[in-house]
Amino acid sequence: MSHPVRVSALAVVLLAATAACVPVGSAHAAGPRVAPSQRLVVLLHDHVVRARPNRTAQRIEWVGAWRPLTGVRTVLPVLGRARTRGGQSWVHVRLPGRPNGHEGWIRAYRTKRTSTEWRLVLTLSNRRVTVYHHGRVMRRFPAVVGTPSTPTPTGRFFIEEALDLSSQVGGPFALATSARSEVLQEFEGGPGQIALHGTNGLSGALGSASSHGCVRLGTGAITWLAHRIGSGVPLTIKS
Amino acid sequence: MSSPTHLKRARRAAAAISVVFAFVAIPAAAQAAPVDLATVAPFVVLGGQEVTNTGPSVLNGALGVAPGTSLTGFGLPAVVNGATHNNDGVANQAQSDLTTAYNVAAGQALTQDLSGTNLGNRTLTAGAYRYTSSAQLTGALTLDAAGDPNAQFVFMISSALTTASASSVVMLNGANPCNVYWQVGSSATLGSTTAFQGNLMALSDISLNNGATVIGRMLARNGTVSLINNVLTASSCDTGDGGGGGGGADSGDDSGGNGTGGLTRAQRLARRNGTATVRRTPRETCTEGFRARVRGHLIERVVFRLDGKRISSQAKSPFRVLIRALPGRHNVTARVTFRDATRAKTLRLRYRACAAAVLQPRRGPSQFTG
Repeated sequence: MSHPVRVSALAVVLLAATAACVPVGSAHAAGPRVAPSQRLVVLLHDHVVRARPNRTAQRIEWVGAWRPLTGVRTVLPVLGRARTRGGQSWVHVRLPGRPNGHEGWIRAYRTKRTSTEWRLVLTLSNRRVTVYHHGRVMRRFPAVVGTPSTPTPTGRFFIEEALDLSSQVGGPFALATSARSEVLQEFEGGPGQIALHGTNGLSGALGSASSHGCVRLGTGAITWLAHRIGSGVPLTIKS
Repeated sequence: MSSPTHLKRARRAAAAISVVFAFVAIPAAAQAAPVDLATVAPFVVLGGQEVTNTGPSVLNGALGVAPGTSLTGFGLPAVVNGATHNNDGVANQAQSDLTTAYNVAAGQALTQDLSGTNLGNRTLTAGAYRYTSSAQLTGALTLDAAGDPNAQFVFMISSALTTASASSVVMLNGANPCNVYWQVGSSATLGSTTAFQGNLMALSDISLNNGATVIGRMLARNGTVSLINNVLTASSCDTGDGGGGGGGADSGDDSGGNGTGGLTRAQRLARRNGTATVRRTPRETCTEGFRARVRGHLIERVVFRLDGKRISSQAKSPFRVLIRALPGRHNVTARVTFRDATRAKTLRLRYRACAAAVLQPRRGPSQFTG
């Protein structure tokens, strides 16, 4: 008898609660759900990358144990693991460089497991970088992204290494990513590598699309990031 | 001068005086003569042939064996908070003094013969009690000192002493386990979780079953003392040396403890009431590092280690340490020792440093797409 009344009353309460929550718009609730952590692997030695977790599988490339710009250890995001019948452990990793977002398998031997709770998401449409920690939004920064002729590539990448550029162009810091420009095969002596960096010596207002593909951030923002974001941190660039 | 009436009065007075003396003398005779442990006093366990242990027993006092040489099972997890004497001069002298104390205890003037009765669920005042055969304790035996810190209780048991599981000896009105002597003519067995008090001097073996606790001493003249997960605390006693006068201070302190907390210091030490937990603050972020803090009861010392390396040792509250966030995965441990018989424990706190702490970005070239 009284069930409909109770149900409707409950619905009213829920609607009111929902309506009350939406304007609050907490940063946590507003962002998309992201995993609280990302497994990583640190390379303790140079590794051959293969297409499958098998010693006889096709050899894709070779990945060095050290990053080329600063000489820090190579840290790669882990996408999966496998063990062969012979007992060999393999790690499925995301790889730096072209083609963007490519993956492969390396031996678990001479690697070290680690993880990160940080994650970066760049949304090109609103030109913002969102920083997640433990799956929760920590910061949002306005950014300069690539022009339509030299766009910032989309996909899943990761931070290869962090650099102290000091007063160099693009300083004071840069987070070199695994992404490469789809247009510029070479730039300023580099391989067209995409980075999140500062605005030293560069023009273009934050929130505009005026870079050659890199992501420019305010000095405060890139400094904050450089002191928190390390090698292997996942970066998702979406349109 | 010496009229018959005077003589009668004198005889009556003499008789009256003798009666008064008799009334005074009777309790004095009932009071047991002091037993002197002498060099046995530091020992909490002294065996004749062997002392064995199984499990995480705690001995708060010296451990010894003589003339035998076998001490087994006293590495970790067992803890001996005292010296160990393996058939050395100290242990041999202690055995000699034990024999003397045993004989003094066996020769006490009798207060009451308890043969054939159970020691459990009864209250006894100071004195010497005898069992012509074996004695059994089932339940609680209360020893009432009536406020006399020097009150001595001696149990002369011709053959074996056995306690049932969960039996206990309880001190009342200032009774001190140091002044309680159990002279056992053969072997003694304490049942599981028995809370025993007093100095047990056995001619042959002494066996403590799982979880039995002792405030006093387990002293075997010729045989083996075997322990299983027991806590033994040697009650401090100086009263015996003073012959009743000089040693009153310690007993007075203990009786004072009785009056306030209901427990003697030895009883408090024998308990396992220590607790400890470790927490980190802040819990969410580790950009700079975090503070690990140990809280609990009866904590004596906390030793913090980071990846096995000692970083801090603290004996005063608050027990806390700042852990700087380092790259990678790390272990913080806090080794906590307690003021009572609670077993020392190691608290573990694993943490994985966030990238923030890793980064002091290295200098590098600016060669990006800009």
